[in-house]
Amino acid sequence: MTRITQDMETAVVLKALREADGYYITNTARDMSQSDYKNRILLHTDLMAAKAREAAGYFSLEITGGASVHVDILRKQVDPFLKLELLREAMPNTMFQTLCRGVNLFGYRPYPQNVIRFTVREFAKYVDVWRTFDFMNHIPNMQAVFEEVAKAGKINEPCICFSTGPEHTNEYYVNKVQDILDVTGEDITLCIKNHGGLGTPRRIGELVDAIKQAYPDIIIHYHGHNTDGNDVGRIVEAVMNGAKIVDASDHAFTGFYGPPPILTVIQTLKDLGKTAVGIDEEAVIASSDIIKDERQHYAQFESQIKGFQPTVQIHKLPGGAMGSSLEQAVKGGFLDKMPDILHKELPKVQKELGNYWSVTPGSQILWTTAVSNVLDGRYEAPSGDLKNLLLGKYGPFPFYQPDEWIFEKVFGPDWKTILEEEGGIDDIEDMDIEQERETLTERLGCEPTEQQLVTYLQHPNDAVNFFKFEEKFGKSYVLPPSIFLRQGGFDLGESITFKDHSGKEHMLEVGPVQKNDDGETNVYLNVDHHERVYVFEPEAVAGTQVVATLSKEEIVELASVGDIRAPFAGNVSGINVKEGQEITKGEQVMVLEAMKMQTPVVSEVAGTVKTISVKVGDASRSVISS
Amino acid sequence: MKTKILVANRGEIAIRIIRAIQELNYEAVAIYETPDKDSKHIRIADEAIWLGDGPRCDYLNIDKVINATIKSGAVAIHPGYGFLAENADFARACEDAGIIFIGPSSDAIDKLGNKVMARTIMAEAGIPMVPGTQNLKAGEEGLEEAREFGRKYGYPIMLKATSGGGGRGIRRVETEKELGEQYEIARAESQAAFNDDSVYLEKVVVNPKHIEVQIIADSTGHTVHLGTRDCSIQRRNQKLVEIAPAFQLTPEQQEDISQTAVQAAKAANYFNAGTVEFLFDSDGSYYFMEINTRIQVEHTVSEMITGIDIVRTQIKLALGKELLFGQDEVQLRGHAVELRINAEDPKNNFMPEGGKTVRVYRSPGGYGVRLDGFCYQGYTIPQVYDSLLVKLTVFGWSWHETVDRLRRCLNNFVISGPKTTIPFFLNLLDEPDFQAGNFDTSFLDTHDNLLNYEEDASEVNKLARLIAEIHQKGENTYAA
Repeated sequence: MTRITQDMETAVVLKALREADGYYITNTARDMSQSDYKNRILLHTDLMAAKAREAAGYFSLEITGGASVHVDILRKQVDPFLKLELLREAMPNTMFQTLCRGVNLFGYRPYPQNVIRFTVREFAKYVDVWRTFDFMNHIPNMQAVFEEVAKAGKINEPCICFSTGPEHTNEYYVNKVQDILDVTGEDITLCIKNHGGLGTPRRIGELVDAIKQAYPDIIIHYHGHNTDGNDVGRIVEAVMNGAKIVDASDHAFTGFYGPPPILTVIQTLKDLGKTAVGIDEEAVIASSDIIKDERQHYAQFESQIKGFQPTVQIHKLPGGAMGSSLEQAVKGGFLDKMPDILHKELPKVQKELGNYWSVTPGSQILWTTAVSNVLDGRYEAPSGDLKNLLLGKYGPFPFYQPDEWIFEKVFGPDWKTILEEEGGIDDIEDMDIEQERETLTERLGCEPTEQQLVTYLQHPNDAVNFFKFEEKFGKSYVLPPSIFLRQGGFDLGESITFKDHSGKEHMLEVGPVQKNDDGETNVYLNVDHHERVYVFEPEAVAGTQVVATLSKEEIVELASVGDIRAPFAGNVSGINVKEGQEITKGEQVMVLEAMKMQTPVVSEVAGTVKTISVKVGDASRSVISS
Repeated sequence: MKTKILVANRGEIAIRIIRAIQELNYEAVAIYETPDKDSKHIRIADEAIWLGDGPRCDYLNIDKVINATIKSGAVAIHPGYGFLAENADFARACEDAGIIFIGPSSDAIDKLGNKVMARTIMAEAGIPMVPGTQNLKAGEEGLEEAREFGRKYGYPIMLKATSGGGGRGIRRVETEKELGEQYEIARAESQAAFNDDSVYLEKVVVNPKHIEVQIIADSTGHTVHLGTRDCSIQRRNQKLVEIAPAFQLTPEQQEDISQTAVQAAKAANYFNAGTVEFLFDSDGSYYFMEINTRIQVEHTVSEMITGIDIVRTQIKLALGKELLFGQDEVQLRGHAVELRINAEDPKNNFMPEGGKTVRVYRSPGGYGVRLDGFCYQGYTIPQVYDSLLVKLTVFGWSWHETVDRLRRCLNNFVISGPKTTIPFFLNLLDEPDFQAGNFDTSFLDTHDNLLNYEEDASEVNKLARLIAEIHQKGENTYAA
């Protein structure tokens, strides 16, 4: 019974897995954070649990990747590399695992090949197991990642994304596995990625068995979600049929959409004669005991609707998308339409769009299309990403093409020509990384590190904002969620203690808040027994939202002279024109982004751009005059 | 009824004088302009008289100040430094109005305020002056005269047009060869510019130390000195750090320069407290610069090493008392340093931070620490006056003890609101050349690393700022 440790060679690890009498466990802490807490579990909490998780003896800790790299810099204000470095210090023996979206890396859109390779190289210094998937199961989209992971001597874990329906047969998946093996060779672990938690235990058992029959030596890592409350059942069937690694997480934080509790998996399988290899049950329990009190501070990020969702078998939205879609429904004021969207429109759209796998970014396309179909009329307001999907930019449809009427609705009567001229996967040109380095140097005012550059290449604006945040506020990962995520301010006299990045202990005491006549607010804090005051200028306009208040008449008038109106409230993710520029009808002027989906805004008239009142990153509902 | 004395000044020096007046059991009358209506000197004084809306013009208005003095019934005026302190007309107006001016006579202020006259008096008394020549002869004869001067005093030297002035008609000459090349050109140029081709020479003192001597004289001509001060660390002729004694000079040099200062004061028939300033060359020679006929900002360091209250002495002398101590009773002990904590941003070219409000003011204390300030929590610094907030003067037995104490005091200071010179001084204290006592007037130019500090750069302060923001906004908008 061997525990697998980080210092082992890949070959040794794979041998241990093949010969294991029993199964190994991956603690998918990242997936739990992403699915049940909108990715907000802080490094502080992970560091608290680190020692116990290290002692627990997992095959791996899935702690980065997916959307977490973006959320790290955007909402958690932590350097995704520093996070791995600190966790590695705290847990030297446990392998770290990531979830990589192939050509989309940790983002939502394809990156150039050289950026993919550069990114993988830098992250591979910390990440031992690379779970890579493509939402179309299109293997060429994962090729570059496979190659770089192999070069770095790390473990490749290609995925077959799993779903249900008449097309999703064992035969199809077994062939898919062959396609993967043709590219990667046999030194891999294969993941069955059941991100929706779809299918019955029996269905999963059959699939595992079918793959094992075809490739007896293959190591299967089953990944599922507990959305319907039945993932333990699927895990049991997977292990009984020969899966060697399964995913679960700490019970202190398990919720509805993410992984099931590790301890339940262990107890259930023990009774069936299957042992969790290398696992120290006491340490599994201890991990949860240590962090259980932290959970209350993350309650604000839990889904609006509590409880299991067995209806996932109908709508197939994966774990992470469930919470954010509900949030969007609340914000957009269409919560009452959710049953229609989830149970009627979404299954219909899925079928119409080829019954592919509902996982990032494909799940967002399905969701946005279903919402838009219900709110605006069927395929009346197609998103840019839906167009890209139909044009085959993400890869070929796996089973069948959508019906022609959909193409016609989305692209108009000339759809065939458009498809012919623009269809197929784009060749994305390599990026001039040195040029990007220069740009970043300019924006930072100093030479960036390689890691900073990689972070920047993922999400340029958000990365720069994060670097500036860190410069101004220091390394804030040291703050517990009770401080970092505090709602409603602190109590007068409340004392706050923490250790800073260098390990120095500090004590703050909250003093009074005073508003001056000039609108300035002074916050008094006792910092290590020194009274300090922090001055805040009066807030000019709340937030950065640029909202032009117009009467209905004015809007109609503007529309008649040819204004281009933002079709929805979103963030400006790109501006394609300059002030003074002549534009023609149909020319793209800007790109708006909402729910990770980008939509180009095109001009319906020809004219000259007079002013640009927004910048990239602004939330906008403004009007661009032409 | 108590004797009343009017303090014709503002800020920290007004408070310093008010304290001395009150310690003599007299009453202190303050004056103020409107922008100073919240100034602490008004609160400490026994009464205060508003002069006008200012700014600055009312403090400088002789009639208004004299009228205020008469109205208040004060018998004397202490002018402090700046404003009317070295204005002979003001001293004369006091004399005319029968008010005691606490300082030298108007005649002395007049003479010593005039550079040419001051130089003449000092030269006659044999006080060392920067070596120079009379007008040089024309042609080869004059050039040979110049070469001889160069050989005697060394280069560089200044070739100056006699009729020039205000920085015009001056050439710096580095070598004898250069002198030969420049001599006739200078004459020709001088002729063209000032219609007078006469030129003369003066030695250039390269990177001298600024050494000054505190002197006190009573009306009988009894004159003593209170030792030396080194004020070499300056920024554009503005003193930043003042040290007593000038410990880099040998005891013999200190004694010698102090005696010279006494001689200079006597030559000018000087009365009351004053300061004789010298340039001190690296070869040990020193030259008279000027006499300041007033109390100086940095008088505190001399008080610390002698134990003599200079302002109290000033008042007593002016009111007709004789000096109570002789030179042999003046003992110099230990070291004292004054740092001017100004509301300025050193990084932004020491730009004043006027207009800002002092949100938190916590000052240090303890052994050997003296504070002369007028700042308090909630005080808004007027934009129309100087930026001095508080003078930190520290006494220590040894130089190193003094530096250690200064560092401790600066670290104990909490001033929030305006930026201050504190982080700059903290950097200075850790500068090895400063610690070793190696500094002259070029110090700041040769140590530009002193400006390399980060305001509030500590990690805890950055995080505290974030916590303050989470508190103020009711949520962490960076995590929303």
